[in-house]
Amino acid sequence: MGKRLLSVAVVGLLVAVLGGGCSAKKKGTQAGTEAGGVGEEGLAGGGSLEQYKAGTLGSGEQGPLQDIHFAFDSFELDEAARASLREDGNWLKDHPRAKVEAEGHCDERGTVEYNLALGAKRARAAKDYLVTLGIAADRLTTISYGEELPLCHEHTEECWAKNRRAHFVVVSE
Amino acid sequence: MNRSWLWVGVVAGVLGIHAGVSTAQMKGSIFGPGTRSYPVAVAPLKNLSGPTAADVATRFADIVGRDLTLSGYFKILDRSAYIEKSEASGYTPDSINFENWSVIGALALVKGAYTLQGDNLTLEVRLFDVYQRRQLSGRRYHGPVSEVRRMANKFADEVIAQFTGERGPFDSRFAFVSTRDGKFKEIYVMSPDEGDLQQITRNQTLNVSPSWSPDSHSLLYTSYKRRNPDLFLIDLISGRETLLSQRPGLNLGAKMSPDGTKIAVTVEDDGNSDVVLLDRSGKVIRRLTDSWAIDVSPSWSPDGKQIAFCSNRGGGPQIYVVSADGGDARRVTFSGNYNTSPAWSPKGDLIAYVSRSEGEFNVFTIKVDGSDARQLTQAAGNNEDPSWGPDGRYMVFSSSRTGRRKLFITDITGGSQVQLTHGGGDDTSPAWSRWLE
Repeated sequence: MGKRLLSVAVVGLLVAVLGGGCSAKKKGTQAGTEAGGVGEEGLAGGGSLEQYKAGTLGSGEQGPLQDIHFAFDSFELDEAARASLREDGNWLKDHPRAKVEAEGHCDERGTVEYNLALGAKRARAAKDYLVTLGIAADRLTTISYGEELPLCHEHTEECWAKNRRAHFVVVSE
Repeated sequence: MNRSWLWVGVVAGVLGIHAGVSTAQMKGSIFGPGTRSYPVAVAPLKNLSGPTAADVATRFADIVGRDLTLSGYFKILDRSAYIEKSEASGYTPDSINFENWSVIGALALVKGAYTLQGDNLTLEVRLFDVYQRRQLSGRRYHGPVSEVRRMANKFADEVIAQFTGERGPFDSRFAFVSTRDGKFKEIYVMSPDEGDLQQITRNQTLNVSPSWSPDSHSLLYTSYKRRNPDLFLIDLISGRETLLSQRPGLNLGAKMSPDGTKIAVTVEDDGNSDVVLLDRSGKVIRRLTDSWAIDVSPSWSPDGKQIAFCSNRGGGPQIYVVSADGGDARRVTFSGNYNTSPAWSPKGDLIAYVSRSEGEFNVFTIKVDGSDARQLTQAAGNNEDPSWGPDGRYMVFSSSRTGRRKLFITDITGGSQVQLTHGGGDDTSPAWSRWLE
């Protein structure tokens, strides 16, 4: 429970630092590295499903690793996604004991089952790229949540773009 | 949990129909695609067993009326307009004053009576052609009073059979996913009249893709309750649940074969989804697809020899068919760049699916050979998740046309689309059982 309280406090700090957790525009590592030393422990184990159950999904749930985003019905990594993953890879190299779960998410459009399979592809694409950067594959697990756990709930392209993502959760240090 | 519908039998008998009377004239000629709203009166049943607290009389009539409305063929005349009161009038062909029904505009009439002794209900009900003043059909049902709903669903199916030549689909159940009791997606089961609602899962995580065993006794579904999306089978009679597949990653969209011996399911290897066949214990029999692409949503042909599924091996998602013995898959859909959710008709001739165009998702059917694609829904929100009724003529689907996602029923023409579920939350991923029998 102490961990949970710390987590909430750290999340609050991150929200303050980032000026809103739902921003898809976050680039650069400064926030992640500044808060990272504190944030690692508190965020451990806080996957999107747990956050959803706790009612905290979408409220500054960004950990030390950045989300990457995808086009509709695509699991292709664009240049922005690869740049984010290179920074995430650097964080993983700086924290060699950390293990991470890559979550694949989709927007609400389309079929539940197809989107679950698409989310699996997105998570895997992120993992594979991190492995090519030299991160050991056994430090990276994947899970798909398809369209089941949206960050943003409006029926707009802006919102959908935020929900088409791979999200990274530090599951152990 | 009240599971009486599954195992308590309803004994049905046929009441005598006047010799020489043919219903052929009614079948097919009056009813066909585009013909709607045949006016029917459904009278409350006459109580033959003295004063009772049970509301059998109106419950039966309400459920028959609701089923007939869902069929899209009938308009149920308002009970307040009925001149004949059930308790003061006859229910046999010789004792009905048909003028009392023709004058209010009824072309058909459902009328009957019941006796209730303790828990034992005996119910006798007939369908009349008001204009020709004759009986079209009669049924006697016997069973516990808790089975009045099934008796009504069975008789509604019989009325539909009399008017269309094919038995109706309503002696059946629906499983679906809903957020009606909070934010979590749980699985529910209900009868076609929205009654007998049962919540099947209560794990407060994510539960998706329910589907029925062919005997309508069990449900397959995928749940995140152990964190990984695993495949479960729950026996609705005993409540016993079995973990069937727990491979890391997806164990998703399982469908039992028509003979009940095998299960087609999507599993994931390193992010790539493929369709495999399991035996009833969850052991892999064979792999049905082996491509780098997404392969999901298997649906059996009614003879159990082929499986339709969705794959993006050609770019976007399209519908394919593969033999249940394996081998090369054949592409079925070529129009549109996003076709998903195949559902093979129990009659075998059509595959229903969802297609995206101009930003909207709609339900289509296509012949198994890939010809004659037809759009069933349009300009009414997003319409997804088609599942066929046991008769192969109706299907259920989810639609956002009223705001929240709700379930609707349509026939294969798309001509009548009637809302099935109401209330709060989103209802999605419906699965329509076979006839209960």
